[in-house]
Amino acid sequence: MGLSRREFIKRTAALTAASCAGVSLTLPQAEEAQAFDADEWVRGSCRLCGVGCRVELGVKNGRPVALRGVPDSKTNFGYLCMKGMLFYKLMGHPDRLTKPLYRKSKKDKFKEISWDEALDIAAREFAKAVKTHGSDSVAYYGSGQALTEETYLFQKVMRGGLRTNNVEGNPRLCMASAVGGYLTSFGADEPIGSYADIEQATCFFLIGSNMAEAHPVLFRRVMRRKLDNKDAVKVINADPRISPTSRVADLHLQFEPGTDLALLNAMAYVIIEEGLYDEKFIGQYTTFRMGKKEEVSFEEYRSFLRDYTPERAAAICKGNITPDKIRTAARWFAKSNATMSMWTMGINQRKRGVWANNLIHNLHIITGQLMKPGADSFSLTGQPNACGGVREGGGLCHILPGHRLVKKDKLRHQVEDLWGIPRGRIPAKPGYHTMAMFTAVNQGKIKAIWINCTSPAQSLPNADLYRKGMAREDLFMVVTDIFPTKTTELANLVLPTAFHFEKTGVYGCTERRSQLTWKAVDPPGEAKPEVWIVREWALRLAKELDDPVIAKCVAPFVGKEEQYELPEAIWNEYTQKLTKGRDNDLRGATYRVLRQRPDGVQWPAPTEEWALKGGTYKKFVRGMDPLADEHAKDEKPYQFYGPAHPDKKLWIWLRPHKGPEEMPDAEFPFYLSTGRVIDQWHTASMTGRIPELMRANPYAYVEVNPRDAKRLGISPGDMILVESRRGRNLLPAKVYEGPVEGMVFVYWYDQHEDRLINRVTKDAFDPGSKEPEFKICACRIKRVSGPKVLKPYLASITT
Amino acid sequence: MLRKPIFLAALLSMGVLAACAVEKGPSSYSPSGVKADHPALSEAEKLTPCFECHKEATPELYTEWYQSGHGLDSVRCFQCHGTYENMKRVPDEAVCSVCHSGEFHRKPAGTSCWQCHPEHSFSAHK
Repeated sequence: MGLSRREFIKRTAALTAASCAGVSLTLPQAEEAQAFDADEWVRGSCRLCGVGCRVELGVKNGRPVALRGVPDSKTNFGYLCMKGMLFYKLMGHPDRLTKPLYRKSKKDKFKEISWDEALDIAAREFAKAVKTHGSDSVAYYGSGQALTEETYLFQKVMRGGLRTNNVEGNPRLCMASAVGGYLTSFGADEPIGSYADIEQATCFFLIGSNMAEAHPVLFRRVMRRKLDNKDAVKVINADPRISPTSRVADLHLQFEPGTDLALLNAMAYVIIEEGLYDEKFIGQYTTFRMGKKEEVSFEEYRSFLRDYTPERAAAICKGNITPDKIRTAARWFAKSNATMSMWTMGINQRKRGVWANNLIHNLHIITGQLMKPGADSFSLTGQPNACGGVREGGGLCHILPGHRLVKKDKLRHQVEDLWGIPRGRIPAKPGYHTMAMFTAVNQGKIKAIWINCTSPAQSLPNADLYRKGMAREDLFMVVTDIFPTKTTELANLVLPTAFHFEKTGVYGCTERRSQLTWKAVDPPGEAKPEVWIVREWALRLAKELDDPVIAKCVAPFVGKEEQYELPEAIWNEYTQKLTKGRDNDLRGATYRVLRQRPDGVQWPAPTEEWALKGGTYKKFVRGMDPLADEHAKDEKPYQFYGPAHPDKKLWIWLRPHKGPEEMPDAEFPFYLSTGRVIDQWHTASMTGRIPELMRANPYAYVEVNPRDAKRLGISPGDMILVESRRGRNLLPAKVYEGPVEGMVFVYWYDQHEDRLINRVTKDAFDPGSKEPEFKICACRIKRVSGPKVLKPYLASITT
Repeated sequence: MLRKPIFLAALLSMGVLAACAVEKGPSSYSPSGVKADHPALSEAEKLTPCFECHKEATPELYTEWYQSGHGLDSVRCFQCHGTYENMKRVPDEAVCSVCHSGEFHRKPAGTSCWQCHPEHSFSAHK
């Protein structure tokens, strides 16, 4: 509708200024000619999303010159997306932070200081907060992009040293609901199966995921499976927005945001009523639950589902949903030889994200679409080490390393004993979860916070509210990062860190796979690996607080060379001591083994012998999973030994439909949802500095359905005010048959204050997982003007 | 710098049509790494994905790419051709090896990838 692309270009060209100040997008002309002329190729993993593509970094004269895929890797078979091809350009980028920067007041400019001064300041400020306000006045907020060794050491010092469980990280914002879903449905976190199921599946159920852009190399495998088996393989794409993922779909279910619980229950209704369920599997391996301790019968489940006939669900879901489409989806799902579901933030970032996860798992459990090749209920993860570092390494306020709950005395004491610190040192009470942590910052309860490798000033929902807290003068804020971000703007102390391939360590991707990245090039200037920073900080903290237990936390690592020996010593402690006897047993995944493997190791991997074969492709299957044999209680082929279900069964949940926290109304009549584009990643602090990527998507748009655009007189490129009860953005319009009518969609990477969409989103969160409902809130939109010249924007730092 | 839209469209068409003449030639060996002579773009025009203009300037090429595996999986123009300053009308073949390393090293000596896998559509074999 409206203007054609050519007309749009005419209009914007007419408005074009001679230059586009603010961001350097210039490329050296001769760069590509040198790209593949490397002295050596060093193996590692991609730095960006959660797929875990294996890459090789080409190095010439000590400088990175190219990246290429590793063909014998089972994650990517050599394929890379544009981000994986190009992130080597960040290593020598002129914007890199290269010196510690400090300012006493957040109103001052930063000044360069030495590492000795920086570490002394960090230790002094944290010690002062602990002495004056107690242990829970300090906090660590980390990242699913930090190496496992880094997350593990940070949380060890915070819990064992500073005696607080205020250990959180940005995975709370993206996969906490998936954790909750796996634990409550299967009794154990993380997927049962693997990417290898994709090549065996005959039905894909893709819901709440634009994997074509968010996980492009994994999507390639789905696409290839479909293209090679056009009739035999069905793809169902369920999403309020038509996206590039929809292009491979046989059936697109486009519903109004927040109605997917009704859709999922309706699919279950069809499966039960049409007798498409697997009675034997249900009888052998499952129970039905209303609550954790409230078991119900199959008949009660059937009765519960009667509220979700396809006709009733279609009326709730609206969009293009019809009873027939629901029936078709349910039949394809149940009758397929092997069905694989995949989802991401559309399911997780919801007020009832855990329930939505449960209802997907329900479909797999009642149909027996589990355990066999090609069948799995598979949550995709957004960050490269959210699983390995944060879920497994103890990076959230309620969990300790090795999938141990803080609140369980036995498990907490295990950790204290393994660390050689007195029992009682780790508090029994979990710390603040992310939203509670930044609320506590707002309230002045937290006096010192360390933010590592993430930018909450941009990535928290309702960001303006929490930026006020971060800007408080009585909050001392340390930020460790490689580039300036919206969060360094609010810091007192900015510490420059080594980037990927400038240090050594392990990432654990979506499919329980741990992969080692080996240091290949030196970090710029005085940038340092985080493990060195934490160790040196902890030693100073021990002196400031006169507490030898803090020093004890890092004692095994003192004197280790920082680039290789130190991370290996930390990895060895974590895997050999902390994962022993746990479901994520990684004792076999030593650095020696990880360096031999082209694609790392999938846990459980209790021995090097098992790990050298790649580890465990599918959990819980006897003969495939060594722990299934070890924990077997009977002769059944599947043994659900997960720690969260004492009955060792899968739980089918009765979860009613529940809408979002904030629904559109007369004042704010549109749904607002947010998401990603392929060329940019997260807050764009990295991808925004790669000219090819920034040019491809230089600023965020608001996508408007063509019928809404027509009604409101909006043409492509027009400037649109997007406003909620919390904040506003001014964005160019993309008129696009993407979002369902009545919904607008905005990309969340843009750092410009006018286009930082988390100023508008809502901070309601799931009561179980505490994950915010980024995906849905109410807004209104208004055309303000025709197209304007816009400039790409990245935060900078002033010294 | 202000620019007359019609002039821009004409330049785009001319430049790309010239490129097509080489790229779409009969199954002869196509050299790799041929620098492009793309018409000048303003800074703001550089902030537009290539395919947005080429959808209209070279619709056949666009459609071939869009319907291909590359198009379905969002492999962008710049991944093979580079971007404005370093753009190659015919890419360096080495760029194929970033993702297709195994195939790249198995292909017969003296042949280009696109002799068997037609550029932009990338069907299995010619």
